[in-house]
Amino acid sequence: MSFACAILIFVLGRHDFWRAALTLGASTVKLAIVLSMLPGSLAGTVYVYELLDFPPGIGIAFRADGLGMFFALVSSTLWVVTSLYAIGYMKGKHARVRFFGFFALCVSTTVGIAFAENLLTLFLFYELLTVCTYPLVIHDETPQALKAGRKYLAYTLSGGALILLGVVLVQHLAGTLTLSTSGVLSPAAGRPALLATFLALVAGFGVKAAIMPLHGWLPTAMVAPTPVSALLHAVAVVKAGVFGLLRVIYNIFGVDLLGLLDYTGWLALFASFTIIAGSVLALAQSNLKLRLAYSTVSQLSYIVLAASLLTPLAAIAAIAHIANQAFAKITMFFVAGAIERTTGRTHIFELAGIGRVMPWTMGAFTIAALSFIGIPLFAGFVTKWFLSLGALQAGAWWFVLLMVISSLLNAAYWLPILYLAWFREPRGLPRGVHEAAALLLVPTLISAAYVLLLGITSRIPGMPFSLAQAAVRFVTGI
Amino acid sequence: MSHWLPLAAFVPLVAGALTPAMARGRPGLARGWALAVTAFCTFATAALTRRVALEGPFSYAMGAWAAPLGIELRFDEFSAASLFICVIMLLVLVYSGPYVRRALPATRIDWYYSLLLINLGGMIGFVITGDLFNLFVFMELVAVSSYALVAVGGGRTAALAAFKYLVAGAVSSVLILFCIGVLHALTGSLNMADVARRLATVESRPPVLLALAGLTAGFLVKAGLFPVHVWLPDAHAIAPSPINAVSSALVVKLGIIGLLRIFPLFAAAGAVSLAPLFEALAWLGAISVLAGAFFALFQEDIKLMLAYSTISNIGYIVLGLGLAGELALTGAGVHILNHALIKATLFLAAGAMIHQSGHRTLHDLRGIGRAMPWTTLALLIGALSIVGLPPTAGFPGKWYIALGALESGRPGFAVVVLVGALIIFIYFARMLNAFYFRAPSHKEMLGVSEAPASMLGPVLLLGALCVLGGLLTHWPVALIAPAVGRLAGGE
Repeated sequence: MSFACAILIFVLGRHDFWRAALTLGASTVKLAIVLSMLPGSLAGTVYVYELLDFPPGIGIAFRADGLGMFFALVSSTLWVVTSLYAIGYMKGKHARVRFFGFFALCVSTTVGIAFAENLLTLFLFYELLTVCTYPLVIHDETPQALKAGRKYLAYTLSGGALILLGVVLVQHLAGTLTLSTSGVLSPAAGRPALLATFLALVAGFGVKAAIMPLHGWLPTAMVAPTPVSALLHAVAVVKAGVFGLLRVIYNIFGVDLLGLLDYTGWLALFASFTIIAGSVLALAQSNLKLRLAYSTVSQLSYIVLAASLLTPLAAIAAIAHIANQAFAKITMFFVAGAIERTTGRTHIFELAGIGRVMPWTMGAFTIAALSFIGIPLFAGFVTKWFLSLGALQAGAWWFVLLMVISSLLNAAYWLPILYLAWFREPRGLPRGVHEAAALLLVPTLISAAYVLLLGITSRIPGMPFSLAQAAVRFVTGI
Repeated sequence: MSHWLPLAAFVPLVAGALTPAMARGRPGLARGWALAVTAFCTFATAALTRRVALEGPFSYAMGAWAAPLGIELRFDEFSAASLFICVIMLLVLVYSGPYVRRALPATRIDWYYSLLLINLGGMIGFVITGDLFNLFVFMELVAVSSYALVAVGGGRTAALAAFKYLVAGAVSSVLILFCIGVLHALTGSLNMADVARRLATVESRPPVLLALAGLTAGFLVKAGLFPVHVWLPDAHAIAPSPINAVSSALVVKLGIIGLLRIFPLFAAAGAVSLAPLFEALAWLGAISVLAGAFFALFQEDIKLMLAYSTISNIGYIVLGLGLAGELALTGAGVHILNHALIKATLFLAAGAMIHQSGHRTLHDLRGIGRAMPWTTLALLIGALSIVGLPPTAGFPGKWYIALGALESGRPGFAVVVLVGALIIFIYFARMLNAFYFRAPSHKEMLGVSEAPASMLGPVLLLGALCVLGGLLTHWPVALIAPAVGRLAGGE
């Protein structure tokens, strides 16, 4: 079974520390393996593989269902792209052995999260991910980086402890941790216990999903090298949090039980607040990477909001947005990193006229920005469309209004950058500055192309979107 | 086959006593001799463990005198701990070779091995005896040899720490002896099974209560639980590192196993109820978990930090005992074994670092991750295990104890389990930073080389066991399940 892939990458990641090329090879192989399971997953097949019984009764087991496949596919696709980019970006920087080793480990733990069969396995890889990303966050080893690392650990480990508490509670209440289609908890457990479980799990995963007020670590962690930011913000860490939330909502509690309990109303409230507040804070940032970080905070809550609406259409939006946000945001980080490496500029006001000298790079950025604003034919529109439909399905029209406001805010913080970059004269740029190096540019363009693809081809079977639909069929049992 | 049982306990005692004579004039023989004896014990206890797993507990009557009159050795599921004791002792002996050559005066090396063998014999005897007075005798053998081993390195602080240990140990020993005396006066027997039977009919409450309280308190001092832990940090931080591994991983566990041995005595007694005691133990355990973790946070000295973490982990085990449900007891039982592995890893790895670099605080050890990558890796695996991150060996114990807390309707204790782990994680992050990411405080740190193979080997093996111990949890869980069932059902 293809779970050799996670293990394989573990082994490879350890051995091939110093060979960036092998990192790339491993990532391609893994993508191929994940892709090979795709047709089965589309047809609704669920692969299950039990690794070992630990502790008795709750094995470490893997299962590839629609949702897991979707997440694995997104992360392994992005891994190939990011590896390419990282090789270009890290050229000439220190401790590359450690960097690429942990980089590979991070993505294999992410796949472990995606394919976890039960909550304990999920938790295991989730915690491993925390440990593996720490050396990446503090890669620069400056006091500032170490401080950011401490903050990162403090947030995520407290979250991890809460999750473990939730896991123990689920095991106690339900007697099993298997992620099942209809949820494992039953109303018979009693309201106080269910509330405690929900709070523990949601707050725990909410840390990495950066739901306000648990988002504090994310902007601080921006001191990391750009491929790490890309990895943290688009692929691994934050998506792991969101994915955990989806699992909790759909597979642990189940849509029916949550509909009965009405906790998700509150979650939706928090998510809505985060969407707006994250956008407002993003407006206030003058550092490009920080603006991206707050935008991430805001965008992640789309997924949370969509999931907490509990309707099938909103579920499609939630799952599809995992990919949409990932590709668009990683494009932006690639661009930010390329600009920083090429011109040394990190602030938005310094970007005047950059589009004239780096047209391809800024073209990619434009695609991503338009996607975030939600222009039709771009990936972000698909999410907003289905989220609005889902909200109407749930009878909550005010969320449609929220979508509109959020689009406006997104426009308010992306469009000025586009204006600066394209329509102003370049100022103070040294002569001879032009397009970023090919290793930085190519991955950027690939991911930008993917954003377009995700938007345009959402109706074509065989694309990620159809996988999202398969996933929804699985989680909602429709 | 049946004679393995007494042999396992008495061979190391006799061999230990003979060591100085054997090694006289032949330096270097002592270690080989000790290794051979320990290997024999490992083999014997492995055979015994296999038998108990297949057939259940069995007894051996010394000199063929039947139980109430003669001395009974009884090997039950908890006695399987003797296998862990032997394995860890074997690794410690391998590790000791290069270590003691530098750390100890040459004249004391024979004594060192002699004391270690006596310590081993005492520990094996302690876990396999079925007789209360024997329990005391074996405990004293362990204790006296431990006092001496703490002081064996020489120096004023070592003598002081050993003296502190001795005072605490002697007081608790006297308490235990006195209470065994009380039980003997009440029942006229010293055989555990027999005492349990006869206590059921004892009417008068105060003496039984006294015996129970005294024995519990005595064993808790031996285990180093929080309010009565004061002897532990100094003794564990000052002794030579291999001795730390033995005392922190194994010797303190005898206090816990002592508790496991005496509770069944009182389970059937009509005069006292164990419930209030368990309640108190759960609270004491919870306090110890937090206090130990909290004190560990403020230690700069890596060995002192490990000593406080032992207090925290003993707290987990006592908490599991106090919750007294089947799940919590399973957790306590598994953690007794797994913590032994983890703590041995940590102390041996830390010892190797101190041995090679000559520094022992986190500040001074900065950058050692680059100089001694393998040792540091083992230390970090151990640290991850002590935090209790799945799938390492520290996880199952905490998992079961937390589940047990919920099972008995005490979610507060489940939270304590997690908070304790979280606090230790902070310390882990500090170690990680110091070892890998901070610039070295001492220039020569990067020139430090990896420890010799006979030190590095055991450290790496233990590091691997820390992971395996977690992955293969179902073995110990299945092994101790009948004993746990008896213990939980006996109340």
